[in-house]
Order: sequence, then C-alpha cells, then structure tokens
Amino acid sequence: MYYYVYDEFVQDAKHEKELALIETRLTDLGISGKIARLALFRDASELIRDEVRKGVKTVVAVGNDGTLRKVIGAVARAGVAMAVIPVGTSNNTIASMLGIKPGAEACEIVAARIVQNLDMGSINDRRFIHQVHFPKTKGLRVECEHQFTLQVPPGGGFEVRNLAYEEPGLRAANPLDGKLDLAKCAEKKSGWFSKQQAPATCIPVTSAIIYSERPTTALVDGEAVEGTEFHIKVVPKSLKLIAGKGRIF
Amino acid sequence: MAKNSELTVIAHDVRVEGDFVSQGDVQIEGEVSGNVKTSTELRIGTEAKIHADVFANNATVSGEVRGNMQIEGRLDLLEGARVAGDINCDILAVSAGAQINGTVTMGGRSVAEGEKKEDEA
Repeated sequence: MYYYVYDEFVQDAKHEKELALIETRLTDLGISGKIARLALFRDASELIRDEVRKGVKTVVAVGNDGTLRKVIGAVARAGVAMAVIPVGTSNNTIASMLGIKPGAEACEIVAARIVQNLDMGSINDRRFIHQVHFPKTKGLRVECEHQFTLQVPPGGGFEVRNLAYEEPGLRAANPLDGKLDLAKCAEKKSGWFSKQQAPATCIPVTSAIIYSERPTTALVDGEAVEGTEFHIKVVPKSLKLIAGKGRIF
Repeated sequence: MAKNSELTVIAHDVRVEGDFVSQGDVQIEGEVSGNVKTSTELRIGTEAKIHADVFANNATVSGEVRGNMQIEGRLDLLEGARVAGDINCDILAVSAGAQINGTVTMGGRSVAEGEKKEDEA
C-alpha cells in the first residue's frame, strides 16, 4: 500500500502537466495510492503516523529535497519504506544521488522497489540523510568519539556527510558504511594550480560534538538550524529507502 | 596506500589532540598531539608534525614525529623525515636525508643488542 505526499509547490499550475504524467504512469504500473497534500499548517509527521497505523507500507515524497526533509523523520520512526519522485528541475540533489530521475521516469524506480537500508545522521535528535553543512568555521571545535578533538581552521566550510558526492580531494560519503564523514572543505582557489587539489580532511566517526564559540548556523539537509553545541551521531540502517540503479553508493 | 572507504585524512591546516584511533588507513598532513593508532597503513606527509606515540601496521614518514613508533611491519623513512623517539619495527627502509634520534629495535631486539651478539660470536 503506497501513500503519496505531495509538497505544496507541486500543486502549482506549472507542474500540473508533469504531475498528470506521473499519476498516469503510477496507475499503469499498478502502484497508485492515497494522496496527501502538504500545506502551510499541515504536519507531515501526523499524516504519516495515521496512515501507517492504517497499513501503509511505503511513503512516497513527491517534490524535492525539501519534501524529503519534511517526511523523512516520521518515515524512519514508523519503520516503513520510503521513495521520492522528484518534481521540477531544482533542489533534487538527494534524489539524484539515489539514482532517481525526475518526473514519470521515477515511477519505474518506485515500482522496481530496490530497497536499501541506509544509515541516517542525527543532529540534536533531528534526523538527516544527506549532510550538515557549517558555512562558517571560525571558532569551531569538534570532539570526536569522546577520544580526540579537532580544531577546525577558518575558511572554507565544515561538513558532516552521510550521503554525498565525491568532490575534489574528498571521497563520496557512503550511507551504508555505518559512519559519518567529518569533512573540512577546501577553500576555493582560482589560478593555474587550482586543478591540483590537495586531499581535504575527512574523518569517519560514529559520534561527535561540535562546539562553536558563538551562535552559528548549521544547514541540516539544507534547512538552517542555529546553535552553539551540536550533538551528532550515526543511526545505522534506520531508513528503508527505494533507490535506482544509478545510485552513487 | 590502498583506496579505502575508511581512509582518514587530516589535512595540513587541521590540528588534532587526543587519542586518534582508526580501523582504516590514515594520512596525516597536519598536526597531531596524543596517540595515533591504526591497524593498517599510516602515511605522515612532509608538512605533518606528530607529537605522539605512533602505532601502525605499516608506515611511511616524510614529516616530523616526536614520539615512539611501534610498527608491526614495514617502516619507510623518506627524505626529510625526522623521528625523535624510539622505533620498533620489523622492516626498516631509510632514505638519504632522513633523521633518527632514538633507539631502533627490529624483530624484537635493538641494533645495539644485535651488534653485541655478533661480536660475541
């Protein structure tokens, strides 16, 4: 039994045609189901909890990375499988890493149902699938596994990566390895030598505490969270996610 | 060094304090104070400064180590390597220009002990 959660923005007229194609394809594949439409004061967690109680086995986020972020915590807690159907062309990084193509093509992947049991990250008890990005690193100190401390130098950015693309000097983050990668992003340089990228700091850990001297912003899967202390840990194999063959892990 | 999903890299601008333990390969280009322990490969780069005791299966050093080195297998000291501390390893390769200030023990006996036994024979 499938439950489709439509984000608010997909209900815009400009996505009408794309949505109609998706719905037709889902019906053809025999995996259509109940639809919920998110709105400003409509809590996705409550909707999902109620439907799981009624027997829903798969929740499908129809939208973008933001939609995924709205439903992911509730789905992980409920222990049911999850999929994403990207709509539109922007803010679809997570779907892309999962090997899911936008629009109607994603329906085939949902129907193929390759379920991966992925690790999630947790920051101050809030779940994330992709990464936490600290744009400002001045005054950041990281205590890792209660064993050693990392002084993060200013410049560039600092990330806690669970599922992420390979970057120059930095490997891809694998959500199946039971670890989160602490990564210090290199400052962008221009000039003749910019292609010769030195390896960036990358430390796999299961838990860490990030302290900031001043209140700082952490972007948790793209959503801003303010604070001076961030408790981070990996939650192994806590999300059943449907992925495509083109996934990066 | 093998390509490894558990590879830990400490880049040149980063400082680590405490007991640094890893199950995978470790590449250090920055500063570490405390202990460094890995059950696989350790590479210490030219800019690296280690103020710690080092434990590894195999190690390659191009930078500075102030502390004892306990290496299960092979230790390569490349040109520019500076070790101030005792070394215990199975195989040692020292390039011209590398410095050791400490006792070297190989295969469980120190160089001094080995020379003494050869003289007695």
